[in-house]
Amino acid sequence: MKQVIVHPERCVGCMQCMLACATAHSRSLTLFAAVQETPQPKPRIHVGAGRFNEGFPNRCRHCDPAPCQAACLSGAIYRRDSAGTVMINPDRCINCASCAMACPYGVIRFHEDPLGPAGHAIAVKCDNCSARVAKGQTPACVETCKAGALTYEEMGAAMRRKTRDVSRSMSTDADQPAIPAGIALLKSIKQSELQLSGS
Amino acid sequence: MKHVIIGNGIAGVCAAEAIRKLDATADITLIGDETFPPYSRPMISHVLDGSQPHGKLPIRSEHFYDEQKITPLLGRRAGGIDVANRQVLLADDARIDFDRLLIASGADPRPLKAEGLDHKNIFYMRTQDHAKQLVAALDGARRAVVLGGGLVGFKAAYGLLKRGLAVTMLITSGYPLSMQVDETAGHMILDELIRHGLTVEVGVSVCAFEGNGSVQAAVTDAGTRLPCDMVIIGKGVLPCRTLIPRGQIEVDLGVIVDEHLQTSAPGIFAAGDVAEMVDIARVCPWVNALWPEAACQGRVAGLNMAGRPVAYPGSLSRNVMRVFDLDVLTVGNANPRKDSGCRVLQAGGAAQGYYRRLVLRDDVLVGAVMINRIEQGGVLRSLIENRMPIRLPPERLMTPGFNFGQLLL
Repeated sequence: MKQVIVHPERCVGCMQCMLACATAHSRSLTLFAAVQETPQPKPRIHVGAGRFNEGFPNRCRHCDPAPCQAACLSGAIYRRDSAGTVMINPDRCINCASCAMACPYGVIRFHEDPLGPAGHAIAVKCDNCSARVAKGQTPACVETCKAGALTYEEMGAAMRRKTRDVSRSMSTDADQPAIPAGIALLKSIKQSELQLSGS
Repeated sequence: MKHVIIGNGIAGVCAAEAIRKLDATADITLIGDETFPPYSRPMISHVLDGSQPHGKLPIRSEHFYDEQKITPLLGRRAGGIDVANRQVLLADDARIDFDRLLIASGADPRPLKAEGLDHKNIFYMRTQDHAKQLVAALDGARRAVVLGGGLVGFKAAYGLLKRGLAVTMLITSGYPLSMQVDETAGHMILDELIRHGLTVEVGVSVCAFEGNGSVQAAVTDAGTRLPCDMVIIGKGVLPCRTLIPRGQIEVDLGVIVDEHLQTSAPGIFAAGDVAEMVDIARVCPWVNALWPEAACQGRVAGLNMAGRPVAYPGSLSRNVMRVFDLDVLTVGNANPRKDSGCRVLQAGGAAQGYYRRLVLRDDVLVGAVMINRIEQGGVLRSLIENRMPIRLPPERLMTPGFNFGQLLL
């Protein structure tokens, strides 16, 4: 089973995934119409600044067992067994924020959502783009990521590829670094900038 | 294997589910004094404030017991445990055999000692039945008195204010939720409630109720008379431990359990509001009578009962609530003793519209209070629960941009 895999070391912080995610969870499903919608669709993947101002794409890990599911007061959080996706039923959610307190990654947000009940804030988080996947598409964040920080693949295959990349980069006649040179340069510039400014 | 669970609250229900997951053929009997399907106790405050209907309280299907192949004994309260003969005694003298027993009997509201408690419209707020009675009593009510400023008292006062009643809250400390939050946060919450019509009386207690069938006034020990047409008593809860045979199962305030949630009697476990174990933040035995705690403890107790040894690291207090325009989240020990050697960081306040407070013991986070911008509260809770040494400057945890990525090196 394919899943979204995050490679934070490759993220350049462009936030294109956030835009794509919000669009994929809008009513119109196109960017230009989505910005006109009320309520405005919001991203379910969150690119924050890491310790050295590098990008860090943060999204639901669909944990098993899921702490948010155990903490949900209204029984709104459930697992879609076919794909292992942790889902929030917008009609059962009471916006109590109990899941925010349970989530160790801080990926749940609370607002009115185009796909939820009108006029009520609810808990919103990544749904693995289940609507897109059902149509044979890949998740929106992956489709839009140009830096290779988000991939959609089998976990076993991704682990093997990563192991291979790392071991290749460690060998003396390394022809390929683990991270593309441009991304590595951008990260080291950000890190040195921060060190020079003394913070 | 015969499993018996005393209590059909969330701890009992989660334990039964965990046992069933590991053992498809185990014999599971669940004894509960409430006959309503498994429901969400914390949601009754949402029923009181009118944001959710009573019908949304059940959180498992009405066929839950059939689906999980559980034998329910509902409407019956366990009266005792015969440890030597491995039997649970019911109030009607029936005896139920067990190989493994879970005590998840929960807690009852701490009773109030006052005269005139038999007047109508004086309530506790604990069960779905209380919620139903409370909502029925709202019709025509204008003035309410709430006793206690803890979690129950606070939620009762908030719900009644949202329903448009004039509420007087009687508290012993200067602000509500004094066990959960520090003084700054407490006053932010208090001001928000006062802005919406709350009256607060500090340091007085009620000694009698007056009325004519229905309650009409509460009389305080200071001699004042508070006119009201309904009263909610929220003086905390006490573990239901009358069924525990003293001397055979170790009991303090709650039933004492080890890291596998087993009591001092082998094969007998306890979880939820009745269980006492080490508190991760306070590092001493504590009863954290909280719903999410009960859910996790129930699950772990069930796994252990079914034969998979799983350790529970200890309990942790945590709460989140929305108070009109304030979102309040609190975890662990927010009010360490002055001589505890803990370091306290604070930022924001009433003027800034948000507040954050962190309590650290050496480089380990032991407590946090957040008002507004609470989305990262779970990250802080997880740091406290896992006793993770914080390697980045703790000030970073206070900034609005703090996120999980900053914890990675």
